[in-house]
Amino acid sequence: MNEQLNRRLAFLGILIIGLFAALFTRAWYLQVLTTDELSEKARSNYVEIVITEPTRGRILDRHGVVLADNIRSGVITVNQSRYAPGQIDFVLEQLSALIEVPVSTLKSRLDDQQTHPLAAKVVATGLDEYGLLRVSELSLPGVEAKWEMSRIYPQNEIGAHVVGYVGAMSQGQEDRLLQLGYLPSERVGKSGIEQIFEADLHGQPGRTELEVDSTGRVHRILSQTSATPGSDIYLSIDADLQAATESYLRQGLIAARKTVSDDSGFFYPAIGGAAVVMDLRNGDVLSMASHPTYDPNWLVGGITTLEYQSVFENPYAPGALNNRAVQGLYSPGSVFKLITALAGLEARLISPRAAFYDVGYFQIPDKYGCTGRCTFYNADKAPLGIVDLSSAITRSSDAYFYKVAHDLYWIRGDEQWAIQDMAELLGFGSQTGVQLPFEKSGRIGDGDIKEALFETNPDAYNPYGESTQWLPGDNINTGIGQGFVSVTAIQLANAYAAFANGGTLFSPNIVEKVVARSEDRFGSSVIDFDPRIQRIAEFPEGSGVVREGLHGVASKARRGTAWRAFEGYDSSGYAIAGKTGTAQAEGRNPVLQRKKEDSAVFVAWAPRHDPRYVVAVVMEEAGFGGEAAAPVARRILEALRAYEQRWPDPQVAFIPPQPECPEIPEALRGYDAFTSYVPEGCPWGIQVPRANNPEDVDGDGIPDLEERNQ
Amino acid sequence: MNLPLRKELRSPLRYADYSLGLVAILLAFIGVALNYSSTWRVLEFNGQDPATYAKRQILFVAIGILVMIGATFLDYRLYRDFANQAYLIVMLALVGVLFFGVERNGARAWYELPGLTFQLQPAEFAKVAVVIALAAFVANKDGNLRLVTLSNAFLMLAVPLGLIYLQPDLGTMLVFIAIGMGVLLVAGAQIKHIVITSLVGIVVVVGMFNSDNLGGPALLRETQEQRLTAFLDPTFDVQGASYNVNQSQIAIGAGGLRGQGWLQGTQTNLNLVPEQETDFIFTALGEEFGFIGISLLLLLYSYMLARMWFITRSSNDLFGTFACVGALSMFTFQIFQNIGMTMGIMPITGIPLPFLSHGGSSTVVAFGLIGLVINISARKHLA
Repeated sequence: MNEQLNRRLAFLGILIIGLFAALFTRAWYLQVLTTDELSEKARSNYVEIVITEPTRGRILDRHGVVLADNIRSGVITVNQSRYAPGQIDFVLEQLSALIEVPVSTLKSRLDDQQTHPLAAKVVATGLDEYGLLRVSELSLPGVEAKWEMSRIYPQNEIGAHVVGYVGAMSQGQEDRLLQLGYLPSERVGKSGIEQIFEADLHGQPGRTELEVDSTGRVHRILSQTSATPGSDIYLSIDADLQAATESYLRQGLIAARKTVSDDSGFFYPAIGGAAVVMDLRNGDVLSMASHPTYDPNWLVGGITTLEYQSVFENPYAPGALNNRAVQGLYSPGSVFKLITALAGLEARLISPRAAFYDVGYFQIPDKYGCTGRCTFYNADKAPLGIVDLSSAITRSSDAYFYKVAHDLYWIRGDEQWAIQDMAELLGFGSQTGVQLPFEKSGRIGDGDIKEALFETNPDAYNPYGESTQWLPGDNINTGIGQGFVSVTAIQLANAYAAFANGGTLFSPNIVEKVVARSEDRFGSSVIDFDPRIQRIAEFPEGSGVVREGLHGVASKARRGTAWRAFEGYDSSGYAIAGKTGTAQAEGRNPVLQRKKEDSAVFVAWAPRHDPRYVVAVVMEEAGFGGEAAAPVARRILEALRAYEQRWPDPQVAFIPPQPECPEIPEALRGYDAFTSYVPEGCPWGIQVPRANNPEDVDGDGIPDLEERNQ
Repeated sequence: MNLPLRKELRSPLRYADYSLGLVAILLAFIGVALNYSSTWRVLEFNGQDPATYAKRQILFVAIGILVMIGATFLDYRLYRDFANQAYLIVMLALVGVLFFGVERNGARAWYELPGLTFQLQPAEFAKVAVVIALAAFVANKDGNLRLVTLSNAFLMLAVPLGLIYLQPDLGTMLVFIAIGMGVLLVAGAQIKHIVITSLVGIVVVVGMFNSDNLGGPALLRETQEQRLTAFLDPTFDVQGASYNVNQSQIAIGAGGLRGQGWLQGTQTNLNLVPEQETDFIFTALGEEFGFIGISLLLLLYSYMLARMWFITRSSNDLFGTFACVGALSMFTFQIFQNIGMTMGIMPITGIPLPFLSHGGSSTVVAFGLIGLVINISARKHLA
């Protein structure tokens, strides 16, 4: 008995030891082996993180006109996941009666595919207090009426392509942005400055860590950082000039649509275009227009599919969202002759004053053994007669440049690619680096590019199985900006700016400064965007003659190609230099099902001898550069003059321009044909009538320019 | 005067195991500290006296110590004579609580005491009565447990089990089963009988668990079923049934080796572990004093149980031995089950941790049983 009792007691004792050993082991496991993981869980248990959305920075023009702002806006969201299918209709009917929006519109906004199907969807925006009150009085489950910060673009479509717009974050960027502290409901920049400067505009979200208990009651504030509002972006754009540029471009396109093309006999479709105004002294972009355009406010307030399609999928105005000034690739046409001329001079192929007989075409001499196309005609097959480099540019002689490009082709050595090299030197074929997204780099065709194109996509580029070699004809086409040449409007403006300012190639700045709105002890911080010089080009001897040729573009006396457009233009102190271009577009217009019409191009700078601004205009399928694009540029230049009077630039006021006065023999000085070459301000040039010359303030008959020089 | 006294005439005080009482008091004060730390923050937040629970527990401990002292001095062998009466009274109380008791957490297990802020839980006192009655019954049979005797012993257990099942309080039922198994095992029940009853017990439990699936009435309540499910699968219903299991393990794990310091535990302060001052008091210790604190507590309990085991062995009286075994079984089971459930190695049942959990009845009963064991130790030399 006692023996058995002891045995059983021993068993009980061992059992107890075993149980305690189990407890020890488990405690060791929890508190030593997995303590890190469980501590982390404990922390997330009691810490609640509240994120406050920062106020987005504004976007302003260079003089403080607000282009993108924030407003408080009443929104209604509906969470349809709270309803059985079909039940939501009842709710929508009630809402529709209150806010006077048709049920079908509300429905289409609910069906928006861009956000998560279970998330609350914005069905109405822009409500006032009473609207919100009336909706909340309904107290429908899943329907929320609340104030929200909303983006507004007070100038509507002005600068739309530059400013860009905001929208819900896309699936791809969601993870990255949420890690940066964005709220899932926040809108992010989708294009333009809104996209490029997203990090500055967004600011830093506020973050509060609260200690909460099991029922969510707050016990302590663990840490608090208040939100830092986003920085304001000041653009180099001037809103008025931008509005003028956009309006003139649109008017120019509308006018072109009323013009009949001689080639096809149809009206020009003139589907779109771009215009860029740059300050060529520092590379600031003053205005940048792209047509067709849109109002970014449409894209913020939850646009319906139908609305979206009508604006952004309109076949007659394709690519409204694209900024054609940096994304549109065009053949430059004769505008490119600047490059060819400089390349010819560089290769010492051109003697600037040598006469050339333009017979209306250029034929590759037999001794070179022509393959393929051998005769290249002027645009209208018209012979221009005797030209030199200057008048070949002024009158846009194709034959002259055919010959230059052809001769360059046969220089075997480094200078064979003189045109391509000169184009590259002036920034073609690579991005200019303006602060805008999706900028295209374009291309300047050479042997490698041709071969690559022909091989990757023979159907489009080489349907007849032609040679992939770089032929003389290719170089000849390149010489007048056709063929394998594609450029953007901003590249054109930038290259002409570099030529006009004496060789400084900038990276254009469209942003002037970024101003942080949170003021610390030292005031708000400002980041200035100083001019960015890409390179300084040296132009070959004789480039003055090229300049001279460009000066004549608007001169009737010198039969400049744009003289008609500039007839009656008040050139006093604001004379222009420039070049027209008419580029044949390849392929067919997909909507109209006929060959594409020519695109009109015009680039000019002003004033002629004190270059300050460069204007580039490109119009798709709108006709001749001198007829379609030049009038647009003319009106933009007039607006520029007004702009300068409105915002006088202290730097500009007393820079003495230095006219290049060519030596003209005494005997010839009276003749109009010669004096028209001479710049204003030269003693033997054309004297502008005294009364109309604002530069002769004292009225003594001698222009002030000259007096200053003395 | 160094006369050798007869053994029977020596003072019991000479043999009494005082260390057991001291350990019990030490545990009780740890309990008060933990009661404070697991309630002060929420009480303060609600604008109440943060020490409300601690003060009440001090009162219970004081009563408990008095009861312990009282239980020590009166010769325990007298209890044997009143065992049946005590058993009867407590059974009546268990019947009465079904009709007059108040319901809390879904169990009708408490008597409201008029004019007092706390209640009486008859099931706790039933533990003492059953320990004494069962020990007396088995001792009367001289440890000769034939099948008939064993059946009667089972019947003695079955009555309170049935009554508590009606409350219902699964945890306390298990304590009674533990007491019964311990006493009967040590008392000499044949192994085959124990094995058979265990098998029958398992069949009954499984049958209850699945009674509704087998076409009968649902014998187990839904919460009990969910708790068992949550034990087997901690990812089941994280905000509901598995919440306690997960939160208490998080609290203990967050304590790490050294703990976060008294009153510093976030799980404890922010009321993230439900029922923390009562059944889950161990998590407060685990979070605030870490593995070191847990080890010290387990060592204290081990010392207590070891002392009880030695007293059981050394007692010359069968009644004393069996009563002691009953108390030992009860403490062992309650400690293991309670700590085990907070650490996720046992299913959740509402069993208090002796001396630590907030509660009058359980504290007083624990002290009373320790008093009984000291009493036995003091008179172990008497037959």
